[in-house]
Amino acid sequence: MILDLAIYLFGGLAIAATVLMIFQRDAVKAALLMLAVLLCTAVVYLALSAQLLAILQVILYAGAIMTLFIVALTALPAAWRDKPAPASFRGVLGLAAAAVLLAELLKVAGPLRAVCASKEFAETGTLGLARLLFGPFVFQFELLSLVILASIVAAVTLTARRRA
Amino acid sequence: MMELLEANKDMLLFTGAAVLKIGVFLNAIMGFAGLLTLAERKVSALMQDRIGPNRASVFGFAFNGLFHPAADGIKMILKEDFVPGRADKLLFTLAPFFALVPVLALFAVIPFGDYVMVFGYQLDLVIAEIPLSLFLVLALSGIAIYGVFLGGWASRSNFALLGALRGAAQMVSYEVVLGLTLVGLLMIFGTASLQDLVRAQGRLLFGWLPAWGVVVQPFAFILFFVAAIAENKRTPFDLVEGESEIIGYFMEYSSMRFAAFMFSEFVEIILVSMLSATLFFGGWQVPYLYESGFILPGGAQFPLNHYLIAALQTGAFAAKTVAFSWLLLVIRWSLPRFRFDQLMGLCWKRLLPLALLNILLTGAVLLFLGKI
Repeated sequence: MILDLAIYLFGGLAIAATVLMIFQRDAVKAALLMLAVLLCTAVVYLALSAQLLAILQVILYAGAIMTLFIVALTALPAAWRDKPAPASFRGVLGLAAAAVLLAELLKVAGPLRAVCASKEFAETGTLGLARLLFGPFVFQFELLSLVILASIVAAVTLTARRRA
Repeated sequence: MMELLEANKDMLLFTGAAVLKIGVFLNAIMGFAGLLTLAERKVSALMQDRIGPNRASVFGFAFNGLFHPAADGIKMILKEDFVPGRADKLLFTLAPFFALVPVLALFAVIPFGDYVMVFGYQLDLVIAEIPLSLFLVLALSGIAIYGVFLGGWASRSNFALLGALRGAAQMVSYEVVLGLTLVGLLMIFGTASLQDLVRAQGRLLFGWLPAWGVVVQPFAFILFFVAAIAENKRTPFDLVEGESEIIGYFMEYSSMRFAAFMFSEFVEIILVSMLSATLFFGGWQVPYLYESGFILPGGAQFPLNHYLIAALQTGAFAAKTVAFSWLLLVIRWSLPRFRFDQLMGLCWKRLLPLALLNILLTGAVLLFLGKI
């Protein structure tokens, strides 16, 4: 009962923080809200008795990656303006993209639930997950790093254009 | 009503015991941290051939300065609570909490004794016994960085921001080393639970040598201790503050907000001491003391009362903590401050490769002994 309550409470908090993050114009505050999202997700993992996942989420994402994000963000000139720039038409564009993503996620949610509900999935522990990730799915797993590479290239392109 | 109580008896007992343990353990730590503020000043006075604080008195009794922590606390509360005009008020308020709360939460997983039997119930002498407590220590100490960084950032002061940037760089770097030094212990003892780690350190090597962490991983202990002092931001690693150059990330803070930052440093001293004792010096273990009493290597036995054994073990843990705290104070007043490039060089060029080498050697020895 308490665990269910914790899942809904912290899941709700995570969603609320995400929405706030999207509409937050101050980059540092947005990063802090993302930190809140990560911590809430860690609590949800904990309530689902995935302890290792919860702790790794805090060590890697909240402790290491978000720290670097926030330190990097404070080096941006935009973070030093007292009043952040008002939202432009890009905000509308962002909302449209978010709506598309949400629709896609909802579409995936149904099949995903079916996969998670199967008994085999429930018995997959950390070791089993690691075997799958670095065994048969190693190609797909490494493909993920390409996505990150793409986002790095995108970020560099965006900032470089602004500077020119 | 009675039925409801009876049905939830286990949970109520568990909650009651947890609240009791939190109350006793945290109060002990807070009291000790208060005394450490005095000890720091007294140790520095001793080393510089001064007398140190000895004036605060109650009804004319000064007890050589024993009331100074209380006087400091009252002074802090009465000072003006100031927020700079350009500061980000929300983050400025949030930062001291980020500094203090994760550190205090960490004490929940540190075992301060084995167990005591109370009215037929077994009371574990650790607030939260969880299987991955070692990782939790690393996770929460990572969160503590935000206190330093937000404090400096929200003040909107260049000096504070400089301190915060140094702090973030230093803490992120040394945390990597801190985590890597513990891998050797994980490999040897095969558990990530601090209570199990302490129990495993009660075994004997060659029939007479206690298998403490420092015996099986002497090299890792030195690396861990250096990284822990750096993580604690104390001299010789106090560039985050650097009083003579930038004063530090809490430069704009006053009153109890500043006290929270200062107090968190002293609580961290206790945390580092307790972690060093737990991981490398057998925690609550007393050499040759077992559940039934002393059993010396020669075979001589001295049976002892259960409560006496529990008291001895908790006392041993307290003594080790005090000894390490004293060592940290002495180190602070003995060594000069590093330069920033020296600090980063020490971490990435020396400690990190050595920590990796330690893991490699540990693995090789375990393989040679056929333990893997």
